[in-house]
Amino acid sequence: MKQIIIDVSDDGEIRLETKGFTGKACIEESEFIKELLGKEKSRQLTPVYYQKVKQTIKKYLHLCG
Amino acid sequence: MSHISKIELEIKDLEALKNACKVLGFQFMENQKEFIWYGKWMGNQPLPTGITEDDIGKCDHAIRVPNAIFEVGVIRKDNSWILLWDNWIGGGLEPDLGKDAGILKQAYSVEAVKKLARKKGYRIVQKKMPQKVRLSLCLP
Repeated sequence: MKQIIIDVSDDGEIRLETKGFTGKACIEESEFIKELLGKEKSRQLTPVYYQKVKQTIKKYLHLCG
Repeated sequence: MSHISKIELEIKDLEALKNACKVLGFQFMENQKEFIWYGKWMGNQPLPTGITEDDIGKCDHAIRVPNAIFEVGVIRKDNSWILLWDNWIGGGLEPDLGKDAGILKQAYSVEAVKKLARKKGYRIVQKKMPQKVRLSLCLP
């Protein structure tokens, strides 16, 4: 499941985490939260970020008649 | 997990700030141009960028906190709003406002995110956890 998790501590600190996204989609999907709340101070990319979105590759066999 | 970001808060949505005040039981004083503070700048703390000694006590709106003598000033700065208050212990703001107004900033962030996420059609789950509030937004 795709999720954006926002933790706001009692001292006002904001931490945003995305889950279930692959590749750059997590950045795009959570951009509106960052724009709404202020400035991004730091960003840590996790291994899933570097995974490529699944692509269907069609291969054709050359048939000799 | 895909990425983790830390965000420095800027108050951009005045309606969300008003809602946060309502949630916390504070009174948002629309167009109140002065806020109550000690009245004399002691110079013991740095002022926010763009605020001078002469600006203290002046505001565009104010926030009244029950049981506190002092008030919080809400000041327009470019495209956002800054909060200004005197944190002298005798003013009584810190117990309800939190250290560095953290409780008000937390309530504002929660209200602002909920408002926009709702508009965008996200399913929102809010959970109070030790020392923080968690909002989980699920994509439809």
